[in-house]
Amino acid sequence: MICEHCKQRNATVTVTQVQNGQKVEHHYCDVCASQFHPFHAEFKQEPISIQQLLSNWFGSPSWQQKMDEKQQVQTQQTCPQCGFTYKRFLKEGKFGCPSCYDTFSEHLPKLFNRIQASPQHSGKIPSTYNNRFAIKKQIESIRKRMQVAVEDEQFEEAAKLRDEARELEQQLQLEGGDVS
Amino acid sequence: MIDSFLTRATPTWMNREDDYSDIVISTRIRLARNLDGYRFPLAFSENEALQIEQAVTHAIKDSTQLSQNYAYFAIKDLSPLQRQILVEKHLISPQLAKKEQVGSMLLSEDEAVSIMVNEEDHLRIQCMTASFQLQQAYEQADAIDRILEKTLPYAFRGTFGYLTSCPTNIGTGLRASVMMHLPALTLTGQMNQIINAMTRLGMTVRGIYGEGSESLANMYQVSNQITLGKAEDDILADIQSVAEKIIQKERQARERLLEKAEFALEDRVYRALGTLTHARILTSEEAATCLSNVRLGIDLKLIDNIPATTINECIVSMQPGFLQHYVNEILPPAERDRIRATMLREVLMNKPMIDEKGADAI
Repeated sequence: MICEHCKQRNATVTVTQVQNGQKVEHHYCDVCASQFHPFHAEFKQEPISIQQLLSNWFGSPSWQQKMDEKQQVQTQQTCPQCGFTYKRFLKEGKFGCPSCYDTFSEHLPKLFNRIQASPQHSGKIPSTYNNRFAIKKQIESIRKRMQVAVEDEQFEEAAKLRDEARELEQQLQLEGGDVS
Repeated sequence: MIDSFLTRATPTWMNREDDYSDIVISTRIRLARNLDGYRFPLAFSENEALQIEQAVTHAIKDSTQLSQNYAYFAIKDLSPLQRQILVEKHLISPQLAKKEQVGSMLLSEDEAVSIMVNEEDHLRIQCMTASFQLQQAYEQADAIDRILEKTLPYAFRGTFGYLTSCPTNIGTGLRASVMMHLPALTLTGQMNQIINAMTRLGMTVRGIYGEGSESLANMYQVSNQITLGKAEDDILADIQSVAEKIIQKERQARERLLEKAEFALEDRVYRALGTLTHARILTSEEAATCLSNVRLGIDLKLIDNIPATTINECIVSMQPGFLQHYVNEILPPAERDRIRATMLREVLMNKPMIDEKGADAI
């Protein structure tokens, strides 16, 4: 008997399957049979990668893919830190660096609405972030007081405040945050 | 040094048994973190990788607050077999095992915590517990995270939370997984329905070997899909209640099976035990099916002279990497099936045989 699958080699393996209570017999050669072995099949078949699946998710549906020129420009947008474009993100399904989230921030809420519960984080916050946030607020208020001091021509006071703000800015840099 | 982590199939923390251990094998929490100012591993340079690794290693080694010591291993220093065993034990991910240039890991003494460096994200903190212990596992991961955030500049934004390379981890960076043994739901054909329902609830159900949906040994992993827009507590509470429902369904299915077909079930269980203790050739697939049936027999008290933890150990140690470590040589697949049969026979026959000998001596 010839193998049902390759139709070349001799069939040496009989596979009995029960489908809907009906017994079905198949005859394969040992080469083809080893490929049908459920365990081998699992590893041989290259599964669709999560990225491929995601990139379909992230991109626009096919009926919207005829993008107008404005959108074309948007997907050309480049992250200054790592050089990723939004188009590359759509292709890979992954970002290149933390700054990508700042660069592409306008596209993201729409995307997160689709794949997440909401586009706004509501969980844990690093304690250092609170600290940085607090320092930023402090710098803001010092700058305002400095402005007032300058307007009142109290230059000594203003210089003191300026030094204070500088010190806090340095501290912020040590914390690893951006000063902006 | 790595050898101490490779000899035992399951660490001692796995030996704990409680009300859920008839169904839930283990619980895992993973936190994804990245450092601001560095590109993610898919785009970074080797130099960046090195700096990240040094920063993370220092943060862990220099901390006086961590409750355990951590052993450091660079993936490139491990043999392919050693890497495979670490994957089989779920201590590292298959993706990290492939990162020969830049990947490394820090492993706690008790093997309950593994910190993967430069996998998909700069940092992945993983904590495991036996049975169904979401809170305990999360608290441990949270404590380590709180210690590391003092010295590592985490990439975090008020809007998007913890930034990750893949937007499916953004926000909390939290993935909680519960590994369950669901033979009765599989046998009664209810798994597909459950998998569909889970997807609608924002959860994923996968087989024990990760990506594919095919399950080996009727082991399934239930985990959350959503990481942004929900607080950690809510994510954990959701998965807790979903897992509880599945446990309840599995228990009901087991009871119904016992009621309707106790004799057939007993036959099935003992046939499996017979195969495991007498077969000379066992593929991983057949071994997994038999181990699952024996495990069910133990949980239903049809078999009482084998501890469930022994079966947990067998499920891990019958995998290719472990087998080859067991005989200390690289084996072709056909040879593995023979060694697998020998190993399982030794493990499962050992205990009763010693008891019998003891009885003979008296």
